[in-house]
Amino acid sequence: MNLPTFTSAAWSPVYLRDLLRELVARDMKLRYRRSVLGLAWTLLNPLAQLLVLNFVFSRILPLNIPNYPSFLFVGLLAWSWFQSSLINGTGAIVDNRDLIKRPGFPEAILPLVTVSANFIHFLLALPVLFLFLILARIPLSGAILALPLVFAVQFILTLSLVYLVATMHVTFRDTQYLLGVLLLLGFYLSPVFYDSSSIPAQYQTLYHLNPMAVLIDSYRQILLDGQFPEWGGILILGLVAIGLLLAGYGIFRRSSRTFAEEL
Amino acid sequence: MTAAIQARGLGKRYRTYSKDRARTFQEAVLHGLRGLRAGETFWALRDVSFELEPGRMMGVIGPNGAGKSTLLRLAGGVGEPDQGSLEVRGRIGALIDLGAGFHPDLTGRENVYINGIISGLTRQEVARQFEAIVSFAELESFIDRPLRTYSTGMQMRLAFAIAVHIQPDILLIDEVLAVGDLAFQRKCLDRIAQFKQEGCAILLVTHDISLVEQLCDEALWLRRGRVAASGPAVVVAQAYVTEMRAETQRRTPSDRRVATSPDGTELRLNENRLGSQEMQIERVSLQSAGGNPRAQIDSGQGLRIEIAYTAPQPVPSPIFGVSLTRADGLVCFDTSTASAGLALPALHGQGVIALDFERLDLAGGEYYVDVGVYQKDWAYAYDYHWRVYPLTVRPSPGEKGVLRPPHRWELVEPVPRS
Repeated sequence: MNLPTFTSAAWSPVYLRDLLRELVARDMKLRYRRSVLGLAWTLLNPLAQLLVLNFVFSRILPLNIPNYPSFLFVGLLAWSWFQSSLINGTGAIVDNRDLIKRPGFPEAILPLVTVSANFIHFLLALPVLFLFLILARIPLSGAILALPLVFAVQFILTLSLVYLVATMHVTFRDTQYLLGVLLLLGFYLSPVFYDSSSIPAQYQTLYHLNPMAVLIDSYRQILLDGQFPEWGGILILGLVAIGLLLAGYGIFRRSSRTFAEEL
Repeated sequence: MTAAIQARGLGKRYRTYSKDRARTFQEAVLHGLRGLRAGETFWALRDVSFELEPGRMMGVIGPNGAGKSTLLRLAGGVGEPDQGSLEVRGRIGALIDLGAGFHPDLTGRENVYINGIISGLTRQEVARQFEAIVSFAELESFIDRPLRTYSTGMQMRLAFAIAVHIQPDILLIDEVLAVGDLAFQRKCLDRIAQFKQEGCAILLVTHDISLVEQLCDEALWLRRGRVAASGPAVVVAQAYVTEMRAETQRRTPSDRRVATSPDGTELRLNENRLGSQEMQIERVSLQSAGGNPRAQIDSGQGLRIEIAYTAPQPVPSPIFGVSLTRADGLVCFDTSTASAGLALPALHGQGVIALDFERLDLAGGEYYVDVGVYQKDWAYAYDYHWRVYPLTVRPSPGEKGVLRPPHRWELVEPVPRS
């Protein structure tokens, strides 16, 4: 069997950059247009969770974690970037039928658009986090230079999973519900509102197979403790994430030839 | 010269999923792996070979389900062939699914950028073409308003304007030429002709045979996924029309049922009436501007043609056609609901469809109004009445010809010699 050759299919990097930028911008514009609260909407969800969880775990079931609001907010922001990327990303193919059916459209860009847009929301919320840190008199150290590395690892990890769920959703349209359940379980199995050091020693290794545990721990080490993250953990996770991305992208590419028929 | 598109033995297979095929995890679990098994497959395209050189235009014709759209999709790189090879060289532009990525809440300007980039331009290229796009669409004063304030026609104009500004090497067109008013359609056709001159290879999928004859150099006629004929556009188009007539004749019931038209002419199947009779034309009345039935008008008067039909079973999106033919057989005017861009819904039961001429500037003489109703992709006629309804245009003395446009003589003062 001969595959078709497209001389034009080698999209130029400039074109892909422009396409990514324009699609992300469309996403952002649509979210903020016609809503007076604008940016506040993005913050409303983590802030509301912060308020409730802070009340529960400071007053009802006190966990006695110092600077609990800042501690909690770091976990919530990282988790909500992960969670909303996956939820929005599930529909990345199914919800963009008209783009998939367009000749020459590079469909592999759609999951990237979702993760990027959610990354920007995450970045936009960071100043609020820094405000929390300043109010709690937590000093920032040079360790903050390691932050972009952790961002990159989380970005790659999330993207690889979005490639998988977006592909799966084309065939099984209840992927979204299944994912919702898994994310809820993941929320409790990740150190969002508690400290991973309180996991019993015999479960520690098993527990840290959860990539979000490694990431959230790293964020806290950098922001709250002013220390560099444990390089071993984050670098191994980085390599695993790159491997997952290659696998996820590969599966996506292989399935993408039938996307137009399945939609 | 190297071909812009080269297809050799192209084949595309689709699966017809059985109805109980699992679409969710839940069903997959309930049905076990049985539900995951794919159903039968069928070939949407088989053994299709052709070449299209730069600067040439090829019309792809054939009934619905013949594989025309599949071919266009494959050429655009959407999906991959299961058999054979397909080479496409150059930047692909597409007049398919116009307005992909348009969003009603964004302004016209923002939508031009998004759609332009989705269509394959870089940001800089869109910026450079922006003025040209907006002025082509004739939307200068609306461009900063949200798209939801635009009429459908305005949105289509904008989408089309973007599509024709991407300077493709290969242009794929799927039945979108009925955009906007006649002047805008003319402009679009001119632009397409210009693309061709600049060396763009064009693939046009259409049901409109006259468009193929007018615009295309070559034609490819598909029948159930295979090439029925290919070659010079006029030849293939004629063969297709002939086959359609044959198909109509084949489907015409063989009995000699006789009906009578209101003015007493007998309608005899296989003589002056053809068609499968799945849908019937019951009555055709010609009315002058006043609404009075009359088969005689003065040149330049208005005319209304009312066609009463019966569809015992629902008929999906039929096409009505009317042609005005002079007694000697010259077709003076031919129109259809399809060429006017009027998509009819499924029709069931009885109804009336009317065609209004504000004025009919035919020269005096004897004419026939031939009326037909056709299957939605022109595959055959349901009912066709040939030379049943006469129309007399009263002659004005001393004038000859086919047309009698409004006119006036005037003596202009001669310019004095210097």
